[in-house]
Amino acid sequence: MAELDEHVVAPARLKLMTTLTAVSEAEFATVREALGVSDSVLSKHLGALEQVGYVRRHKGVHRGRRTTWISLTPRGRKALNAHVTALQALIDRIDWHRPR
Amino acid sequence: MESKPTRAEASAALLDAEVARARLADHIVTPSRFFASMSVAIAVQIATTAAGLGADSPWLMAGGLAVFAAVAGVQLARFRRVNGVWLGGFASRVVLGTATATSVSYAVALAAAIWAAYGDRWWLVALWSALGGAAYALSGRRWMQSYRGDPAAHARGESLAWLALMTAAAISGLAMLVLNA
Repeated sequence: MAELDEHVVAPARLKLMTTLTAVSEAEFATVREALGVSDSVLSKHLGALEQVGYVRRHKGVHRGRRTTWISLTPRGRKALNAHVTALQALIDRIDWHRPR
Repeated sequence: MESKPTRAEASAALLDAEVARARLADHIVTPSRFFASMSVAIAVQIATTAAGLGADSPWLMAGGLAVFAAVAGVQLARFRRVNGVWLGGFASRVVLGTATATSVSYAVALAAAIWAAYGDRWWLVALWSALGGAAYALSGRRWMQSYRGDPAAHARGESLAWLALMTAAAISGLAMLVLNA
């Protein structure tokens, strides 16, 4: 049975990684707007997820400005799938024991 | 480490994550006149390939391929600029036409246009080319709808290595056509 991933448990990280599954890669500001968070919050979570190899960042250009492009790694995708499976199992298990 | 979430927290976190993903996918749009330009580029490519084979003119075929490559390159750059994202699924399925409906309609239109060119029925070449271009664009529109319905399942396309191999094959084919002219 899949386990909750300690690196993805924070809802903001789950949201970030899930959002990244919609694209191959996204520019920093685009992700920030989709998540509705500040630059510093996004940078903090990206740093933590990058450290465990779940996301990848590289410098690039967007609309003539230097910026950062972000993508989910295969390892991050696998970890996210396992975490979501564990969350769904958690929801289902509690539902099963709930009095009717 | 954070504690194990409750059922309500787990549900809310999953829902919130899915809403954020849907928000990003909903904001992804094709650049203006994208489908019209792709439709014309494909029509030109089909017509020049058919006419080039019919008239034994490799330069004509190379010209059509070059037009398609230029339009595809510009449109992909515009897509990335407009949306701030790179979508492998869009690049391979919509622009390079690897979606089943796109590749089948393209193959049928190209075969019919070549058949018409060998019979010197040039109006049919034009008709099949236009139909091929229109079908290509329609398949692309359909893919965009499917993508919005399930972004995670459609976001990724072929690997960069595969696309590089295909590009190298196309460039080699183009070079051979021109060198044999």
